[in-house]
Amino acid sequence: MKQRSGTEITTQIKRMQAGTIPHNGKVRYDRKAESEFFVDNSALAGFTGERILYMAVRELIENALDSCEVNHILPRISLSLKIHDSLNDMWIITCEDNGVGIPADKVPVAVCSFLTSGKYVERQQRGLFGVGLKMIAAFSTKDTDHPLKVWTRTLDEADEFYFELRTDIGTNKPIVLSRDTNNEEYSINSKSGFKIEAMLRARLSPITKNKIYDYISQTSIVNPYAVIIFTTNEGSVIFERRTKNMPDASSEVLPHPSDMDLKTLKRAILNFTNQKTTLHGILCNSFQKMSGEKAKEILSRAEVELKVATKYDEHELIKIVNACRQTKFQSPNTDHLSPVGEHILTAGMMEEYSIVTKKENNSHNELPNSQLSVKVLKPALTAYSSKTCIINNRATVVECGIAYGGNINSFRLYRFANKIPLLYDEGSDVAREVVSEVEINKMGITKKDVKEQFSNPEMKSDRAIELLPIHIFFHICSTKIPYKTAGKESIASEGSLKKYMRFCLTDLYKRVSAQIRKEIRIKEAENRLRLYKHYIPLIVDAISESINIDAKKLSDAFTSLVETHVGEINVISAHSSHKVKDYKVPRGELDESKSRNNSLNRFSLTDTRISNIRGRKTGRARKH
Amino acid sequence: MPARDKRHQEVIKKIKLMMSDISRNVLSEKVLPVLDITKVGYDNTIWSEEKRMLIIGPKTVQISPENTKKIPTFSQYIVMANAVRKLLDEEMESTIRGMYYATLSTIGDEKNKQKFWNTQDNSDDAIKAIELITGVPREEFAVTSKPKGMISGPITLRVGGDLIDCNLGSRATSQLVPTNIRDLEIVNVKADFVMVVEKDTVLNNIRKSGFIQKYNAILMTGSGEPDRATRMMVRALNQEWKKPVVIFADADPWGLGIALRYKIGSESLSYDSERLVTPDAKVLGMMFSDIYDYNIPEVARLTASDEDLNRATDMKRKPWLKDRKWQKELNLFIQRKEKCELDAFFKHGFRYLAETYLPQKLRESGVI
Repeated sequence: MKQRSGTEITTQIKRMQAGTIPHNGKVRYDRKAESEFFVDNSALAGFTGERILYMAVRELIENALDSCEVNHILPRISLSLKIHDSLNDMWIITCEDNGVGIPADKVPVAVCSFLTSGKYVERQQRGLFGVGLKMIAAFSTKDTDHPLKVWTRTLDEADEFYFELRTDIGTNKPIVLSRDTNNEEYSINSKSGFKIEAMLRARLSPITKNKIYDYISQTSIVNPYAVIIFTTNEGSVIFERRTKNMPDASSEVLPHPSDMDLKTLKRAILNFTNQKTTLHGILCNSFQKMSGEKAKEILSRAEVELKVATKYDEHELIKIVNACRQTKFQSPNTDHLSPVGEHILTAGMMEEYSIVTKKENNSHNELPNSQLSVKVLKPALTAYSSKTCIINNRATVVECGIAYGGNINSFRLYRFANKIPLLYDEGSDVAREVVSEVEINKMGITKKDVKEQFSNPEMKSDRAIELLPIHIFFHICSTKIPYKTAGKESIASEGSLKKYMRFCLTDLYKRVSAQIRKEIRIKEAENRLRLYKHYIPLIVDAISESINIDAKKLSDAFTSLVETHVGEINVISAHSSHKVKDYKVPRGELDESKSRNNSLNRFSLTDTRISNIRGRKTGRARKH
Repeated sequence: MPARDKRHQEVIKKIKLMMSDISRNVLSEKVLPVLDITKVGYDNTIWSEEKRMLIIGPKTVQISPENTKKIPTFSQYIVMANAVRKLLDEEMESTIRGMYYATLSTIGDEKNKQKFWNTQDNSDDAIKAIELITGVPREEFAVTSKPKGMISGPITLRVGGDLIDCNLGSRATSQLVPTNIRDLEIVNVKADFVMVVEKDTVLNNIRKSGFIQKYNAILMTGSGEPDRATRMMVRALNQEWKKPVVIFADADPWGLGIALRYKIGSESLSYDSERLVTPDAKVLGMMFSDIYDYNIPEVARLTASDEDLNRATDMKRKPWLKDRKWQKELNLFIQRKEKCELDAFFKHGFRYLAETYLPQKLRESGVI
């Protein structure tokens, strides 16, 4: 469970915990442990029937990536998902990373206790709530008799630690079944890292299976610096590392004053209780973009008297909050964000890995065996654009990328939020709207060009952009992504987010315009040649049936003529920007053809019926 | 095997000449061939005051593989030319539909197949192009259409070797106007004049009444839009046999348009007007004023549509309808917004049209 705002969850928990059960005419008030609450309401964390394995894969991969990036370690993640007992839908999921690991004493709570996390800070991370891993632990405890196995190695500790754990769902406390240290035969193959093995009971439908594959493939696009090894019963695939650059790790930042509320202010004051600091000092030290001047301005605007910081009552504090909300501050800084960046996204786009399953029909009455393999798409060109903006008082980075041509052969839109692929609800996502709103003519091509060169009967869409062999990538990073629904699979068009996304896409269209026009021209020439090659045999047959002529010679001569001709059209259209159609014959040639016209005017008959045949030199190249 | 017909020999020769020109362009001159063909249609049609007919203008179109979009058209013309040559070599004849089938094929590979002809219209256009390239009308190279014109009266035709007397004594039927005009010859005409009506139903009524015998007339109809053979027959009777021609069509812009096909020609065939048009033909009816002069009851009149009115307004501006009589008629129509079919006279009795209206109109104009 990622990125759900803390308050949202707390409210939901409270609502549930206040659950009133009539008993003997009296209402009994119970308190529920976090673990029990989440197990009972697993949908809140996305762990529902079909999606359990998908969510488990997500949580483990995201935790692994976070754990590497925090210390700038190039990730190497090995994930395996294998059926253990198909009759009872038992799966074994294993994940090993080379991240920072978890200190031994923290392992049991970090793995099993809900709402315990090292990520409760103001910076961009994949996981935020401390729910995901616990969910796996709790489900494993709930559905199987198999203990959760965990190995961890940190740089600070010499030993590798091994735990067998279960969750006490009723109390949200870990149960340590066994604990072991080991300094000889390490189970983790890197200097530090974390490895987990869990058994889960779940169904895996083909749709979910494809979502898992998509998830891993797309994760690899925005994390091309990670090696991901994925193993299933169908085989094993490796997503190679395509760059050694990693995005700069995000750092924790102070909250921005425009986003201040009573809670943040009170906590800030609490942090300074033991020091004799004035409220002015606390403001300056607890919020970003708060200069001494600004803090003074706020205090005078709030009209509160000066006293020891702890002596202010809520009534006075709310005045300060209000004053902050009315004051203009510099835009929040973006140190806490970690965009993918041009270099890395380009590396991901240049070699786009995806999982393909190859169906192999074994003879001897066996079931068809599907075999996993990796397909690498290499586009002809890529481009990247980004924009930093403020959405809902939070700094937000919009990144957009385009990959075109090469062995990409269809349109696809990819959406990411904080480096996590969004796989569902594409139709209602703001990115979808942006793609259909930005006109394709920003690329310097017309819908007509596209439809003529790329239309194919299988594509039902009449949106020109969807006919192009183009992949469009959108990545939004923010500590508060404006998700549309609780499902967190599509982004709403909040504030001016859409405007900035449109800006990025337009910018990209313009930048790839020259190249795409060139590509289209090549395509045009190919289509032209194909058309000629279909018709030339008909013409040659008709002529060689009528008059005595060497059909082969005629056909060869005709073909080489049109080849030169198509080449020349291309050269000319390249010079006349993208106005390919109205190519005019240069004057000199016109004159020449007129004189030829007369000499060849053999078919002109009586009075009005004029018809003749004449040759015309092609293109400019032959002009004398 | 040489074809016997000289005209056919000429067509074959022209087609072969075109083919060898194209091959020479490609093989020795190394240039892409261009077919320069007279443009057909309203934008290349001119009114000739002197000839009193629509004639073709000076515009031409260039069909060449040089323009990628024209490559299908170019090959369609060449393929059609070869098909015509084959037809003549084999001494066969065909309808335009037959030519469409004879040249049907598919283009392209398995992945994107397309039809050589989208519809028969494309192949009809290609046949037209062969007419323009060779300067020979298609009837003369044995490509015809289904006959639809009808003729009755004291006239003898020879079709191939068969003599046909169109004065089919029984009054019960008419002769179809043959479309293979290369095989057709007018042997003898005993009639005093030729009366063309718009529709076959009206022709049948008039024939049945004994009009032919009484007035020594030839009755003809194109059954609506006349085909080329019917137009040519009307012209021949007027120009070669010096018979006056009168035309009766419905009193609406559509009917007037059909009457004018005989008299001044049409935009789509303006390149062939000299063979098809009878400028001396007289359009006698049905006039819009006849609706009121002959008391056609209101129930038998029809309300003009917007399209009718637009067409009439358009016609008013045409140079061939500039005289006062036609301007008056068209103004009347635009003002009253009523039209009427010749069949409406049946309301006055089944013999009224043939025995009262037509004789009266013919007498007024001095034909009888």
